[in-house]
Amino acid sequence: MKKIDFHIHTVPTISDSHFTFELSNLVKYVSVAKLDALAITNHDLFDVAQFRTIKNALSVPVFPGIEVNLENGHLLVISDGSNLEDFEAKCRLVSQKIIKVGDMLSVAELKSIFVDLSGYLIIPHYKKGPAITAETLKKLEGYVSAGEVDSAKKFIRTIKDAGAITPVLFSDARISDRLERIPVRQTYLDCGDLTLSAIKVCLQKGKVSLSEADGNELIQIFEDGQKLSTGLNVLLGERSSGKTFTLDRIEKAIGSESVKYIRQFDLVQKDDAIYERDFNSDVERKSSRFVEEYLSAFRAVVDDVLAVDLRANNRKVELYISTLLKSAEDADRQDAYSNTALFDEVELPISQSDVLEELIASIRQVIENVEFKSIVEKHLDTSALINLACELIELSWKKTLENNKRKLVNGLVKDIKESLKFRTSAVQLSDVDLYRTRLDERKINRFADIVRCLKDEAVISEESIQGFRVEVKRGSFEGAGEIKNASNVRTGFKDAFQKYEIPYEYLQALRAKEDLSPAELYKLFTKISYRILNKDGAEISGGERSEFRLLQEIKDAQNYDMLLIDEPESSFDNMFLKSDLNQILREISESMPVVVVTHNSTVGASAGADFLLFACKETEDGKPKYRLYSGHPTDKKLISLDGKSIGNHEITMNSLEAGQGVYDERRKGYEAIKDPK
Amino acid sequence: MKLLKIQNDLGYWLNSDGGYSPVDKITKEDLMRLVELVLDKDVEFDEFNGENIKNQAHQIIYKSIFQKLHDLLERKQEFIDESKRLYLYEYEKYRKESADNSAGPGKK
Repeated sequence: MKKIDFHIHTVPTISDSHFTFELSNLVKYVSVAKLDALAITNHDLFDVAQFRTIKNALSVPVFPGIEVNLENGHLLVISDGSNLEDFEAKCRLVSQKIIKVGDMLSVAELKSIFVDLSGYLIIPHYKKGPAITAETLKKLEGYVSAGEVDSAKKFIRTIKDAGAITPVLFSDARISDRLERIPVRQTYLDCGDLTLSAIKVCLQKGKVSLSEADGNELIQIFEDGQKLSTGLNVLLGERSSGKTFTLDRIEKAIGSESVKYIRQFDLVQKDDAIYERDFNSDVERKSSRFVEEYLSAFRAVVDDVLAVDLRANNRKVELYISTLLKSAEDADRQDAYSNTALFDEVELPISQSDVLEELIASIRQVIENVEFKSIVEKHLDTSALINLACELIELSWKKTLENNKRKLVNGLVKDIKESLKFRTSAVQLSDVDLYRTRLDERKINRFADIVRCLKDEAVISEESIQGFRVEVKRGSFEGAGEIKNASNVRTGFKDAFQKYEIPYEYLQALRAKEDLSPAELYKLFTKISYRILNKDGAEISGGERSEFRLLQEIKDAQNYDMLLIDEPESSFDNMFLKSDLNQILREISESMPVVVVTHNSTVGASAGADFLLFACKETEDGKPKYRLYSGHPTDKKLISLDGKSIGNHEITMNSLEAGQGVYDERRKGYEAIKDPK
Repeated sequence: MKLLKIQNDLGYWLNSDGGYSPVDKITKEDLMRLVELVLDKDVEFDEFNGENIKNQAHQIIYKSIFQKLHDLLERKQEFIDESKRLYLYEYEKYRKESADNSAGPGKK
């Protein structure tokens, strides 16, 4: 097996934060990590002089390469190094095109620069940002040998996916003078010669793994060579033997943003009342996005209804009638101004073209849909549909033009009426739009119908999480206090609640409250409540709440590259650990590395660990020495990196059962109370 | 049904008792009732031609109301279409859950 890292930066560019390259650190990296080959891949740049210096300083093969900004993603182009001048000349063309942040090459440009891509090793960012898009990947078909991923978890997922390209995990490290940790992300190749063509064949055949001897079962986690399983790891050890310290180290090695770390006692119930409040707000926070989405349609309705002013509409009708009757009464007071035809002219109605616009959009959708094209064509003549769409579009143009003309005339009439009004004592007719007035009333009726539905008690969401059920219900508020709670303001809602049965009136009452934002009013019509139910459909108890939270946290771990749990037994009983926790740990460790620290035999011995670690504090030369032993659970002995060994049976007994003597005694005790029936 | 009628050189409107009242007695509520009838029922009006009403006050009122109701009648279909579509998606969305919850055995 050959260990390679083909993604290393040695020159800071516009795409990096600044660093100073340190050759001795690169030499140290190659030596400590025992790399068999590497490639130098700077952003859109190849420094031939520096490359020669690096090559001379190292005894392993070093390949010249470049990381190119390509169509919003990154791509490694690695040469066999046989003609450095030619490669440098080509890379210079890349550098000339990418001079500021955001510049990028197209695939066509890339091909024109490198002429024949098949002469290079091409590795796009695959499950790693900024990733090459599927579309760009298609344009590179036939040239790509592997795709870069950024975690062991993604490596394993990708290698299990038959349709994916071969994954490779590289350090992407900046070799600076301040390099703190030796990178641990590399890929092993099952490859004889380390020529570029042999490497390409090897990658294309998928002969890659995360570890030298254990395929993809183990990954290196620390620079000293310590490994972890890519599945479930159980970390044992006495108190103060460095277990939590080891978890912290793992978190640091992987990067805290990529690790889900559930610390000891995180989930322990402390104060009942505080806990329940925190727990409920936690559940509500997680569900609030759902509720916002659920009510988003209603929110749009409320926003629209807020613009409806029924009282003003009423006043306008009243004014119209009174001015009409008055002007009839004063018919004898008409003069030259009031006798003009425009004096009492009303505005031309303006049609809303929404119905037509939506109809056009729907027909366009039928015409342009690709997925169901064959079915549409079976029943409808596409050319007839196109004609229909054209006719409707022409009609819409006509209507728009007509409306624009009407608006122009209305403006003109209004101006003339205003000036005539100044010159006469006759009463001018006040206009009213009866169409809008009536439509506004219909709007309010429909709004009331919708609110009635929302007040109707119903379960609007049910989500199952490992046997628990989160139930979200809607219903009506039972009193002003409940509205106040939902509003998060201090004002009382007694007056508003009296109008709760008449949605429009209620909305006006809410609107009058100054400390309520109009954008939040939609939340105060229906009461959204949450319940978490256990397996029996009953509300959950305090202990079950901790279990629920743990399961939620573990579920959340799917979004990370590794899961660390420190002593889950601090918060739970054995039945839960055995039946639920072990099962979910097994499941999640199928797709990502998990490390559990435990003293508990239910977790430690029954979870079905893939790899066992034992943290130990030993005294050497009068000084404490922390050591980590590891091995497979079936190994008789666990081995430390410096070659020491320790009996697996002994440490398991000591860590999980408080020693062989206690274990034997306990077993005898159980035998004695066992009912022979 | 005839909402506006011209008789004996005077203008009348259909009142809520089914009889006709002179236009100079119309109120805001009466007008709104006529508007509703225009949109919900089959209606007609006697056309005002400038000469068939002699009383000047009746002329002014009849002409204006006739014009208003006539414009509305012309837009009746547009009104029906627009009314039907009002918040329809939203209404259907929230109504569906009420129906689902009351239909199923698991009503809470």
